[in-house]
Amino acid sequence: MDHHAILTDSSARAPARATSIRPAAVSFRFNPTALLIVYAFLLALGLGLGSAYWVLKGDPPFGGLRLGPWETWPKLGSADADPYMRAIVAKRGQVPLATGEGLSLTAKTDNEGRRLESGCTYRIGSVTPPARLWTLTLYDGDGRLPASDLGRASFTSSEILRNQDDTFTITLARTLSAGNWLQLPPNGPFSVVLRLYDMPGAAGTNLVAGNFPVIERVGCGS
Amino acid sequence: MKLRNRFLLATLVGLVLAGGVHIAAILAAPHFAQQDAFEKILPTLSAEQAQIISAPGGGNTWLPLPDPSVAVAACAFDLEDGPSRISAKTGAPFLSFSFHTKTDGVFFAVTDRAAVRGDLEIVIMTARQLDEARAAEDENDPSRDVRVVAPERRGFVIVRVAAPTPSLRAQAEEAAKAVSCTVDEEP
Repeated sequence: MDHHAILTDSSARAPARATSIRPAAVSFRFNPTALLIVYAFLLALGLGLGSAYWVLKGDPPFGGLRLGPWETWPKLGSADADPYMRAIVAKRGQVPLATGEGLSLTAKTDNEGRRLESGCTYRIGSVTPPARLWTLTLYDGDGRLPASDLGRASFTSSEILRNQDDTFTITLARTLSAGNWLQLPPNGPFSVVLRLYDMPGAAGTNLVAGNFPVIERVGCGS
Repeated sequence: MKLRNRFLLATLVGLVLAGGVHIAAILAAPHFAQQDAFEKILPTLSAEQAQIISAPGGGNTWLPLPDPSVAVAACAFDLEDGPSRISAKTGAPFLSFSFHTKTDGVFFAVTDRAAVRGDLEIVIMTARQLDEARAAEDENDPSRDVRVVAPERRGFVIVRVAAPTPSLRAQAEEAAKAVSCTVDEEP
């Protein structure tokens, strides 16, 4: 049993301690209740802290909004953010866009729900909700801006080339493409973040998936 | 009670307590965070100008997922010394202020659309300082300050200035750095 082990251990180390501690004074009687109380407390600590850590590693569990491939937490940048959002923002060292500033949406999958992989080619288009300015940025698996031949990892609404009907198409590929091209990182998964700055009305209301750009997988090749 | 039942009871008690520990840990996390934005911005408390934390172009920054088309600057405030006055000259590109605290999240945000003749100026104060300012006010000449009450004494302001094209990046960075954060002297 553990307790014998502890006893043996303590007597073995006794010479190293101050003389006032006498191992002979320790008396022990097997007590299952004490053992069970210790077990209950350890279980509580382990499960409680473990689950808290696990939740904080991921995205906020509540208040999410899914619009096609895009995911957002409209309350993240408001005074109504729940404790999970606050804890996650603090852990990441993030400064979320406030509700009055705009809205940020993240896509980690394409429209069919497949994970975004830099080995594939994607097309993003062709409309965005009204906003004074939007930016679309690529991040690699670690959340860094990928290095690219043109030094470009993002497009803004001012830079983009548009079709005659005001729609646009952005091509995501590893190799050079015509039109609005963003170069994908050499390998691994990536994510796309769409930020809408200064939306009319309060950010996070009246959002419909149909107003957001579609992420279409064109093909995967070597 | 049999040992097996006691073991089940102990497991149940453990699970219930685990729920409590989980809630306590989540609620306490923002208070004890060492790597959050507040701790990183706090050293700029004495600066009178906003300090760049993420330059446009996405260079070296601690800010997670930086937007390369936006210059982000910050200044910390401590209302102990008096109300904090944040003021910027606005131009064509998007400019916004958002006000954060360590544990209470965002409490206010405003964009350059609210600017009056190219000036955007916000005064942050505690509820007590607001009362004092109101009491000291001349009724015939009311102050035009936009006053915002902060839920906590200490916090930080984030300034975002957009650079819609790469050629505007330097200008956006200058505009973000030019934002002043000064402490109003107590009357």
